[in-house]
Amino acid sequence: MNPLLPFLMAGDPSLEALPQLLAEAKALGLEAVELGLPHSDPIADGPVLQAAAHRAIQRGATPRRVLQSLAGITDSPDVVLFTYLNPLLQLGAAELKRLLAPTPVRALLVVDLPFGEEPAFEAELRAAGYPMVPLLAPTTTLDRARQILAERPDPGPGAPFAQRFAYVVARLGVTGTGQGLDLKPVSERVADLLRMTSRPLAVGFGLSDPRSLTAIRRLGATPVIGSALVQELAGGHGLREVLAPRLVDDL
Amino acid sequence: MTLGFTLPDRFGSQALGGCYAPETLLQPLLDLEAAFRSALDDPAYRAELKGELRHFVGRPTPLTPAPRLAAQLGLKALFLKREDLTHTGAHKINNALAQALLAKRMGKHEIIAETGAGQHGVATAAACARLGLSCTVYMGVTDMARQAPNVARMRLFGAKVEPVEAGQGTLKEAVNEALRAWAARCDRAHYILGSALGPHPFPTLVRTFQTVIGEEARAQILEQAGALPEVVIACAGGGSNGLGLLVPFLGDTLKRIAVEAGGHGPDLGEHAARLDGGRMGVLHGCKTLLLQDDHGHTAETASISAGLDYPALGPELAALILDGQVEVRRASDEEALSGARLLCQAEGILPALESSHALALLPTLAAEGAATVLLGLSGRGDKDLSTYQSRSGL
Ligand SMILES: Cc1ncc(COP(=O)(O)O)c(C=O)c1O
Repeated sequence: MNPLLPFLMAGDPSLEALPQLLAEAKALGLEAVELGLPHSDPIADGPVLQAAAHRAIQRGATPRRVLQSLAGITDSPDVVLFTYLNPLLQLGAAELKRLLAPTPVRALLVVDLPFGEEPAFEAELRAAGYPMVPLLAPTTTLDRARQILAERPDPGPGAPFAQRFAYVVARLGVTGTGQGLDLKPVSERVADLLRMTSRPLAVGFGLSDPRSLTAIRRLGATPVIGSALVQELAGGHGLREVLAPRLVDDL
Repeated sequence: MTLGFTLPDRFGSQALGGCYAPETLLQPLLDLEAAFRSALDDPAYRAELKGELRHFVGRPTPLTPAPRLAAQLGLKALFLKREDLTHTGAHKINNALAQALLAKRMGKHEIIAETGAGQHGVATAAACARLGLSCTVYMGVTDMARQAPNVARMRLFGAKVEPVEAGQGTLKEAVNEALRAWAARCDRAHYILGSALGPHPFPTLVRTFQTVIGEEARAQILEQAGALPEVVIACAGGGSNGLGLLVPFLGDTLKRIAVEAGGHGPDLGEHAARLDGGRMGVLHGCKTLLLQDDHGHTAETASISAGLDYPALGPELAALILDGQVEVRRASDEEALSGARLLCQAEGILPALESSHALALLPTLAAEGAATVLLGLSGRGDKDLSTYQSRSGL
């Protein structure tokens, strides 16, 4: 099982640092990273990722520049591009596919695109090898979860983690480290979902300390570390330094 | 497969609108649509709303003839639909009250709202006080400074006003923050969105609660003038007073006009005229005409009026415009100030800066040969006194 899914904000601390961060993640044995495309109006993000997106935009990390800076990178885990819809719509499917082709991006996680709202756009990207990651929230009923997993189907065990996993949102609200996430509801949610699907699950929102990461792994899911990592990297710490201690189980 | 909504969620030939919301909000939006439909079918809800609109809001609002201003401009007749005379002083109360009643029906006792000019915030705070609901209003810091009387009014009604520092500190950032707050508290809170914007079902819900404006106005003008006007005109921020006034006239042969904020210049960032330079995009849960840069980032906007200072036009109004049912015009900051002066001096009515954008078009309409005009006076100008004073050298 993939032990950790880290989230990086493209362009923060800098776009120049990105290849090195990806190489370090690969050296840690991680199968995938989420890479945030900085957006002007990140309605699903808390203060840490809002500030990171703002800094990145100020430094010129436009969607096009971000994707161009990923071109040709091979020393990297699979990249899941985490983004809001509008920048992708403005590029258009054809141009987006052209920009994605030379990059390690293998899937898209579009926060504000429920299935069925842009069917042609989504189908075209999926056919080109960029499926949309299904998102399941605490408010998602199990019936809806079944529907979402069917609409954004598992390409099967032969496909990489990045293209197979479903993202389970651990709590109500937006991204952010928060304090003292109550793991009971998400534990029950993961157990229900594991009975429903054989695809890998990642759990994110509000996770950072080694103990809660371990708890998620013990449920049979991959924990996501986002805001806490972005904050440490912005503070000058190294990716390896932050993630290595979080890869060993804290018992 | 569809998301499971039952009301139409797309508008016009370009299928604007939709529900581009984060997954956490999908079920709350589905629940809201179901509650809205069941409320509309429930005679008890309709009776309660009607009673509150009459006895608390003060509906029907008058349709006031403005003969001196009409004569001065060379119009045969001018009628003002007086939403400025509602309780709290703008059309926003029609929607805020109806949604607060809906929230109560849904068993949600916490209310979240965003506000730009502060009129929606004040209306929501008043409705919450009246119905015993708790209320938190998100407002950009720029708007808090320029609409300070409304901040005080919200606080007097017991609402918590949360300042939003991000970006330009205007309506767009307030909506961002309100959506985030709702995602965190959607299990117990209802979000009262203040314009015909956002993810389905909000645009439809807000428009439905605002068409009382046009329905009353149409009956009133037929009664007072014996005929329909040649032009019906309203200002457009998100589009709620515009749709509210214009939709009931869609079947009639007359000119329907929405006026956007021309700000202080024609370049991106200097205005909020979405028809000039806006492109199709997605913001705050709906697809519509949006002022944005080449990267799909939302553009900055500018307007003397906080209520029109928003980068997206509500999807239904945008669709009516693109499909030729409604005409769009713009008025600059300066023109809006002149529009306000006209009404103050000829009729003794102080309009909100938003409504003044519609007033600003009257000389043009007269020059184009219009004879009878019905204008939506969406709000009163008390909140804007400091701007009027500083910009008119009073
Ligand atoms: C008096 C008044 N008119 C108009 C508007 C613009 O909003 P809308 O286009 O939704 O009517 C506002 C918004 O705050 C307002 O306060």
